[in-house]
Amino acid sequence: MNTFSLGLRNLRRNYRRSLTTLLSIAFGFAAVALFSGYTKEVYLGLTQQAVHGELIGHLTLSKRGMKQEGRLKPEKYLLKADEIARIAELVKQAYPTARVAPRLALSGLASNGKVSTIFLADGVAADDMLALRGPRRNASGALSAEAPAGITVARGLAALLGLKEGDDASLLVSTLHGQANAADASIIDTYSTGNAGLEDKALFIPLALAQSLYDADERADRLTVLLPDIALTETARQQLDAAFTAAGLDVEIQTWQELSAFYRQVKGMFDMIFGFILSIVLAIVVMSVSNAMSMSVIERTREIGTLRAIGLRRLGVVRLFVSEAVLLVGLGCLSGLLLAVVVRAGVNAAEFSYVPPNGTARMLLVVGLDAGKMLFAAVLLGGLGLAAAIFPARRAARQPVIDSLAHV
Amino acid sequence: MSQPLFQLSGIERHFALGETTVPALRGVSLSIERGESVAIWGPSGSGKSTLLNLLGLIDAPNAGDLRFDGEDVLALDDDALTDCRNRKIGFVFQGFNLMPVLTALENVMLPLQIRGVATSVARQRASDWLAHVGLERFAAHRPDKLSGGQRQRVAIARALVVEPMLVIADEPTANLDSENSRAVIDLLQKMNQETGVTCVFSTHDPRLLDHVPRHVRLADGLIESDAHPETAS
Repeated sequence: MNTFSLGLRNLRRNYRRSLTTLLSIAFGFAAVALFSGYTKEVYLGLTQQAVHGELIGHLTLSKRGMKQEGRLKPEKYLLKADEIARIAELVKQAYPTARVAPRLALSGLASNGKVSTIFLADGVAADDMLALRGPRRNASGALSAEAPAGITVARGLAALLGLKEGDDASLLVSTLHGQANAADASIIDTYSTGNAGLEDKALFIPLALAQSLYDADERADRLTVLLPDIALTETARQQLDAAFTAAGLDVEIQTWQELSAFYRQVKGMFDMIFGFILSIVLAIVVMSVSNAMSMSVIERTREIGTLRAIGLRRLGVVRLFVSEAVLLVGLGCLSGLLLAVVVRAGVNAAEFSYVPPNGTARMLLVVGLDAGKMLFAAVLLGGLGLAAAIFPARRAARQPVIDSLAHV
Repeated sequence: MSQPLFQLSGIERHFALGETTVPALRGVSLSIERGESVAIWGPSGSGKSTLLNLLGLIDAPNAGDLRFDGEDVLALDDDALTDCRNRKIGFVFQGFNLMPVLTALENVMLPLQIRGVATSVARQRASDWLAHVGLERFAAHRPDKLSGGQRQRVAIARALVVEPMLVIADEPTANLDSENSRAVIDLLQKMNQETGVTCVFSTHDPRLLDHVPRHVRLADGLIESDAHPETAS
């Protein structure tokens, strides 16, 4: 008869109390597992939206100071063709399969010939756009290499100007040197930005057309780097930073997390909610296990006295109760995992949808499984459950044997 | 002559009851030889259980010397005392004190398993002792499926399975009818004679004393008499 086997029998002996404790652990663990699974899917979606949807890529390279003064002194901060070539070469040396895409942002007025409205344009080459879109390459809004004057427009902007696919629009901008410049473009597609703030302003424009409009041939305000793997982001930043410094290039590197404020804000909020839920679950588990063990110790005081009398050391008594707590938490987490898997399957099958904050379209509520966070929660629950059992177990073990035997 | 199993001298034990101190033993000196069978008897409150607790090494005196198997046991720490009890002492309790979640066989195996004896060896020895007390057919029964007499026989098997030097039995017949009481005392006597284990038990039933060779009578925390009646069987 080992300690765990004896512990299991003692749990079955008080099955109502054990079941109540086990269920509180199971529901708590399931709540943690489901929420972490949901946030995992949200983070994955936000990551894809930032990297491939907003075309932020993994790293953004620009001249140091571009972010602060680039609009005021574009001539100084726009990358020149030779700088673009040198930077791209250094990136390719470190990551031969990485994609380096020159980009040029523009703003101005878009017109349908009768009315005008503000636009925020992102200039990118069609083939670079295809590469940056990655898994979203077939989504609407892609530029075409065969349409050098073809632009794609956010649906809100298209609606504002009453334009549709195949229509022409005029784009008026202020050039690099402060002069007005205009060009006609044809709308080859419309798309949804997924961001209410940009939906009536955003458009994509071929890089060459953007450079021509801005009177900045072969120049770019930034380079977007798509690495072979998103996990390389931080390593690549450090590696490239060293390489640029060694080459005498004053280049600032920003990661996609730094550039996607929405991702950071949502992740920060969900991480805080996760911590809050986990704290509540931990408090419930500690109280449940502590209560169950304290009751068990009181009820079994004579048994403890008998075990001590026939030769069980104090540590053996502690081990006995701790084993029961570990079994309770272990079985509770296992039941919670099964519950989470069933609920997850039900939620995913039901295809619930909702409009996310600042979103423009409904999206499916998808719950995943975050093994890392579940393991973290299980280990934390196990540790705290064990700590909650140790106190009453130690108290039981330290009680004089004759007092334990005389307990009624 | 060999060294006595127990040598007690000037043992005092008192308990705090609120602000009052209640003396349970007031300077008891006693020697118990190896292989003896001793009945501690006397009225309620005379100090029988207190003396047995001290002999069973589950309590310590406030004053006096206590030597067990030639060793000053009062100098041992808790783990050493616990190990000493496991190796050398078997307990039979008034309320049987069997583990309700274990079968009769598992209850008997328990002290051996605490000691770390291999399960197969413990199982075999426990089966042999259950057969010795006539309960081999009840090996798989839990305590709640056994009668009072059967439970006490399981407790006796559990006490003897470790082949102890001493069996301490505190009023082992208090919860039994007269027939079972007689059977339990006879069983303890038989084991004493067959294995040579020293048996010390307490009782307040004078009828059972006829079967025990040495009677120590306690009154008010003192030994009133220590007799070896010739009538003992």
